[in-house]
Amino acid sequence: MQGNIASAEGALAAGCNFFAGYPITPSTEIAEHMAARLPKRKGACFIQMEDEIASMAAIIGAAWTGARAMTATSGPGFSLMMENIGYAVMSETPCVIVNVQRGGPSTGQPTMAAQGDMMQVRFGSHGDYSIIALCPSSVQECFDLTAKAFNLADQFRTPVFLMADEVIGHMRERIDLPDEVMVIRPRPLPEGVLPFTPVDNGVPGFASFGTGRRIPVTGLTHNEQGYPDTTNPARHESLVRRLVSKIEDARHEIADFQVVNEDAAFIFVCYGAPVRTVQEVVDRRRVPDTGYLKLRIVWPFPEKLLQRFTNVRAFIVPEMNLGMISREIERHVQVPVIPIGKIGGELHTPEELIEAVHFAGGDA
Amino acid sequence: MKLEIDESRCKGCNLCTMVCPYRIYRQGNRPNRRGIYVPELDRPERCANCRLQELYGRRLCGICALICPDQAIRWVKEKPYEPMNVVIEY
Amino acid sequence: MREDWLRNDRLPHIYCAGCGNGTIMNCVLEAVDKAGYERDNTVFLSGIGCSSRAPGYIETDSLHTTHGRALAFATGVKMAKPSLNVVVFTGDGDIAAIGGNHFIHACRRNIDLTVVCMNNHIYGMTGGQGSPTTPIGKTSTTTPYGAVEVPFDLVDLAVAAGANYVARWTSYHVTQLTEAVLNGLNTPGFSLIEVRCQCPTSYGRRNKFREPKDYMDFLRSHAVLKEKWERTAKPGEELPAESFLVGEFVRRARPVMGVADET
Repeated sequence: MQGNIASAEGALAAGCNFFAGYPITPSTEIAEHMAARLPKRKGACFIQMEDEIASMAAIIGAAWTGARAMTATSGPGFSLMMENIGYAVMSETPCVIVNVQRGGPSTGQPTMAAQGDMMQVRFGSHGDYSIIALCPSSVQECFDLTAKAFNLADQFRTPVFLMADEVIGHMRERIDLPDEVMVIRPRPLPEGVLPFTPVDNGVPGFASFGTGRRIPVTGLTHNEQGYPDTTNPARHESLVRRLVSKIEDARHEIADFQVVNEDAAFIFVCYGAPVRTVQEVVDRRRVPDTGYLKLRIVWPFPEKLLQRFTNVRAFIVPEMNLGMISREIERHVQVPVIPIGKIGGELHTPEELIEAVHFAGGDA
Repeated sequence: MKLEIDESRCKGCNLCTMVCPYRIYRQGNRPNRRGIYVPELDRPERCANCRLQELYGRRLCGICALICPDQAIRWVKEKPYEPMNVVIEY
Repeated sequence: MREDWLRNDRLPHIYCAGCGNGTIMNCVLEAVDKAGYERDNTVFLSGIGCSSRAPGYIETDSLHTTHGRALAFATGVKMAKPSLNVVVFTGDGDIAAIGGNHFIHACRRNIDLTVVCMNNHIYGMTGGQGSPTTPIGKTSTTTPYGAVEVPFDLVDLAVAAGANYVARWTSYHVTQLTEAVLNGLNTPGFSLIEVRCQCPTSYGRRNKFREPKDYMDFLRSHAVLKEKWERTAKPGEELPAESFLVGEFVRRARPVMGVADET
């Protein structure tokens, strides 16, 4: 099965019943698969919108009716979505956005892989906010993480991003489809509680439209009732701090990762497609003194994980950009961080990574 | 029914003064506590809706309440009219 | 009762004295009430601008969204849950400028929405900049020597794009406007009701309509009833300067989307 199809199947397994999208290479297969599958489900809807701005808007609208809503895009469309992603953050709308990354900036390389949107997903919309971003590195993970993304979105009432890339999206692998996936729905809004009062770790309960709660939703700074209150500095500060902290405070709790050779001196920190090269170097070629940390959830960044590598002499960060997550790692550690940025659309070769180990002082 | 202007909502735009067919609303000439010249009512008992709403069982006219941008005009129920017992002595 | 639909704890609203938006809100609520809608299954949406503050004063579920995108959000709401009644408040900047694409596509899809466009010919909330519907020669802060661009005719646009019900009235014609909104609510498919309204603060002040009454007089004297014009106009005769047609422009039954199944 192809990564993009696995992603669509993962969404369907998680109960996705609304998809709005706009064709863009290399994410089109997701929309095509949803267009074929969703109309056969009762109460589900696929709609092809006029642009990515509208796709994002439509899934937010659908999410407020209680639907599990999703869209899929790639870099240029992702840039268009930024406006409404900010809206989804401010209005605390659960939704899932799949970004199958391609080479940028601008139209760039439509058919080649990249990981150049890793900072945009975190900081792309204006203002202070925090989101959750997942990175699959295999077709199986495309399925699992898409299903998980829906649960995280509902649990934290936030947009959740699946940051795949062209390699993973178009790769074909055998996968195991579980009979059933875990489904976590948002906490219901308790009776008598205002719609934007946090009930659990800063996350408010959720009541959908048409259930009699008469919720005014706005992108303006609002009070617990949802009424705009834009000129009160304390109100804005408490709201935005809550929006950030509800996700940042949970970053170690939700962290999803895999550690191999914890005691090694040279640790690869990787996510997405470069994981495959790292696995070749560490797991198959068994280059001495190397290990890796594979992140399935990149944002919020679980920085405490880096402290478990007590013997580490250098972190090596292969990324398909000119160094985005490597800088985030540099902020948290004392040892050298070696970014291996590779752009152009091809994966790192094992030789390049081994060379980096030599450069770091290893005798591989 | 009795016509009422909600002074806490009225912003003194005087649109009501131009639409009422009976010219019940007159531009006010004294500012209220918020500095707004709220229109005055000139013999509001002439209002068709005040007189006839209960008879017809639906709202009549009502242009002033519809055009009022501030939702300040409304009708309130008065105490029901109680006919007095008049004993006529011959 | 119309009063039941208002969030009384939020009134008075932020509109300036004499703003037409309050009037239009009254008429829409009156129509929604007449149509028998319940507060718990009606959703009001809006974009950004003066017009878009209206849903915040209405006691239903409401989405106050990003600039120009209200129709895209409404598409999502209606398609995901067709049993909801969806009404969209929007302004001329919202629908004709930044949201023009969403507007023509919502008309084309003919989704069962009722859209009320409060057209005050100006960007009121940001202080009176020219909009795509500012008439030629009118002054605004970004057209200090008079607007030179040809304005959009929203009604023609909606008719051409395929909406099922299109009407234009003004904030002076309150009963006709209420009737038109009611017709829009009852027509399956996309309904656009364009309402020309006054903005005494930003538009009137710069264009010799300082008092709200002055612009009301203009609306009354320059609105030409469509049916009457079609009956009386000589072939080839053009509308007098600054006049515009009001009335019902189209009511048809093209295929629609987002209508709840009866089953």
